[in-house]
Amino acid sequence: MSDHVAVHEHHGAHWDTSVWPLVIAFGILFFLPLSFTLNFVYHKPMLAILSLGLGAPMIIGGAAGWTSQAIGGGEGLSRPAMGWFILAEAMIFMSFFANYWFNRLTAVSWPPEGTPAIPQLMPAIMTVFLVSSSFTAHAAEVGLEHGNRSTFLRWWVVTILLGLAFVSMSGIEWHHLMSEGFTYGRNIYSTTFYSITGFHGAHVLLGLCGIVAVLIPALMGKINDGFVKTVSLYWHFVDIIWLFVVSQVYYW
Amino acid sequence: MSFAQTAKEWIFTTDHKRVGILYLIGSMAAFAIAGLMAVLMRLELSHLGPTITNNPSQYNVWLYNHGAVMILGFQIPALTGFFANYCVPLMIGAKDVAFPRLNALSVWLFYAGVVVVLLGFFIPDPPDVMWTGYPPYSVMTTGNTAFYTFTVLLLGFASILGGVNFLTTVSFMRAPGVTWSKLNIFVWSILAAFALQLIFVPVLGTAVTLITFDKYLGTHFFDPSTGGDILTYQNLFWFYSHPAVYIIYMPFIGVVFEIVATFARNRVFNYNMVVFGGFGGIVLLSGEVWVHHLYVTGMPDWLRIGTMVTTLSISVPVGLTIIGLVGTLYKGAIDFRTPMLYALGVVFLFLIGGLTGIPLAVTSLTVHLAQTYYVVGHFHYVMAVAGTFAIFGGVYYFFPKMTGRMYNETVGKIGFWLTFIGVNMVFWTMMVIGVQGMPRRYYDYSHFPQFQASHELMTFGTAFIGVGFALAVVNWIMGAINGKEAGPNPWGSKSLEWTTVSPPPHGNWPEIPKVDADWHPYGYGARS
Repeated sequence: MSDHVAVHEHHGAHWDTSVWPLVIAFGILFFLPLSFTLNFVYHKPMLAILSLGLGAPMIIGGAAGWTSQAIGGGEGLSRPAMGWFILAEAMIFMSFFANYWFNRLTAVSWPPEGTPAIPQLMPAIMTVFLVSSSFTAHAAEVGLEHGNRSTFLRWWVVTILLGLAFVSMSGIEWHHLMSEGFTYGRNIYSTTFYSITGFHGAHVLLGLCGIVAVLIPALMGKINDGFVKTVSLYWHFVDIIWLFVVSQVYYW
Repeated sequence: MSFAQTAKEWIFTTDHKRVGILYLIGSMAAFAIAGLMAVLMRLELSHLGPTITNNPSQYNVWLYNHGAVMILGFQIPALTGFFANYCVPLMIGAKDVAFPRLNALSVWLFYAGVVVVLLGFFIPDPPDVMWTGYPPYSVMTTGNTAFYTFTVLLLGFASILGGVNFLTTVSFMRAPGVTWSKLNIFVWSILAAFALQLIFVPVLGTAVTLITFDKYLGTHFFDPSTGGDILTYQNLFWFYSHPAVYIIYMPFIGVVFEIVATFARNRVFNYNMVVFGGFGGIVLLSGEVWVHHLYVTGMPDWLRIGTMVTTLSISVPVGLTIIGLVGTLYKGAIDFRTPMLYALGVVFLFLIGGLTGIPLAVTSLTVHLAQTYYVVGHFHYVMAVAGTFAIFGGVYYFFPKMTGRMYNETVGKIGFWLTFIGVNMVFWTMMVIGVQGMPRRYYDYSHFPQFQASHELMTFGTAFIGVGFALAVVNWIMGAINGKEAGPNPWGSKSLEWTTVSPPPHGNWPEIPKVDADWHPYGYGARS
């Protein structure tokens, strides 16, 4: 093998670039760490809002730009990658549950003092909504596999509606519990309750963002099968985690 | 090419090699910051009583920035950021990683984390929670615990995205003929490390998020008065942070395997044992040993004994990897170039660190040693210094590939020996005074005047380390500017990354490389 291969031969060659990862990363920095610190550590709400206002468009714009670059390509590997990501996500929930189980099983009495009656009907309805949204997402996927675009769009929109209904019901219920004095600082149960349900709710919202990020280009006629499968896999995961959440923090 | 064009192609790059080099620059900057903190601490400890500060919290701030930044900002990004990015696609014969944009997002999230670390130097209340952030101190301190949390979250998120990316890349993008049994040891080590990252980083993220919730939002996770428990933090924290040792260990020993196999001109000894017994065993056992960090926190005896057994047993897979290394050296045609010196330095330092860890696994001894400098010395040998030597050796090893040029061999060797002497002066002394009873985390040891001379020796040794590492960095910069041209394969390695030009162009090869049926990354012929 020759040792005299030209070292600088890449000069003039084209290197792939994308501005969106950088925009999103620093958008996240403004949106979460900086705005949280400004508001809760330094009590400067106006600066915090400014930071949010800087971060949010960077993340949303970045995600839009990213999606528009990625939608036409890809090697169909996003689904297995999502599997690995779900492993990490599951571990986050595992740590919340481990914390909860440890506190609950070592508690002197449960529920701790100051806990009102936890509603039983609303979570049941929410469960029905979220579980059925998994089926509608699957129906959309099947529609796409059969090449039926309108079936796909119809079920995909129904999935979004079910997800939104779930989030709204969750909000109504939080409001109800908080008005009974069950605020997140009340006791270890309220602390755990709001962090687990809140964290799950955040995942539902993230899943909805993913679904919308597929829907918008789909309405404009661009559908990437791999993305649909990936988003729907994540949605199923959010759904399955809910079964743990509802059984552990509501019905146990 | 215009400067603007070049800058754009670097900052907005999605190429794995450039992302890797961005990781290298960022992690070396973090290393400089965290190293400076170590120097400040050593200066403080050079004399009895307050020396350069009379504010104990200031010492805590240095300790925080040294520990957290060395581990989260330097070692993990250098190993699973730089080396993984630069080498894995080249070693498996891929044109890039599976998700180049996600890769760029990882590196910029890492930089966002570094920005938070840097902001910590400009706020009136810098974080002072060491690198562990134990409550109740982290919840009650006037320091900014939120910055600690967000540093961990940003760097952790970068790690998780990296894990997703590399596990997918290696699973699906190997060139035809690069089978699982012909992967470089380094690729295996990255797979194992990222599997651990995916499992354990989320737990750390949760733990540090909860302390910020407790401190700033008024929740009660770690407040016993409303039913919370402080120990759950320590458990969640170490559930990640003990495996973090293996997340660092496996890639650094993987880099050392690459160096040793090349410079000993030998096949890796017992490849399957290293991969499946060593890395596989570590992955399986790493989640069962964290409780030994809580030996002196208090726990039932049966749990102490169980943890002692798991802790001692994980030294078996770790030992298997070291046997593989030493076996690779056996009857090899060893060439003592600078990377090889660093690699052999790792074997020596890790051996000391590993053997001094065994007493710490034994509960009856650890009760006496846990709060002394013995632990600090052991830990620095086994992970901090061994890992850093592997990183520096690895950068020297891949330097001709990255830049197409050669570093200066003499300067490289001088730098190695200075650092090697320095670390032994510092950390061996630490273990000695630790056994004699010098407690750790003190900023003023006026009650222990007998250790004055040892502390002076350690501060003196720090200068050797600083000069040694600085020489290495200067050597790289000078070499990159005007080193002599290296050619594609200056070391005569059989591994795939050396089959392309140096530095490799975008896409690495004009075509995906084709390998022969009898090709092997360590195919240096039969052992003589």
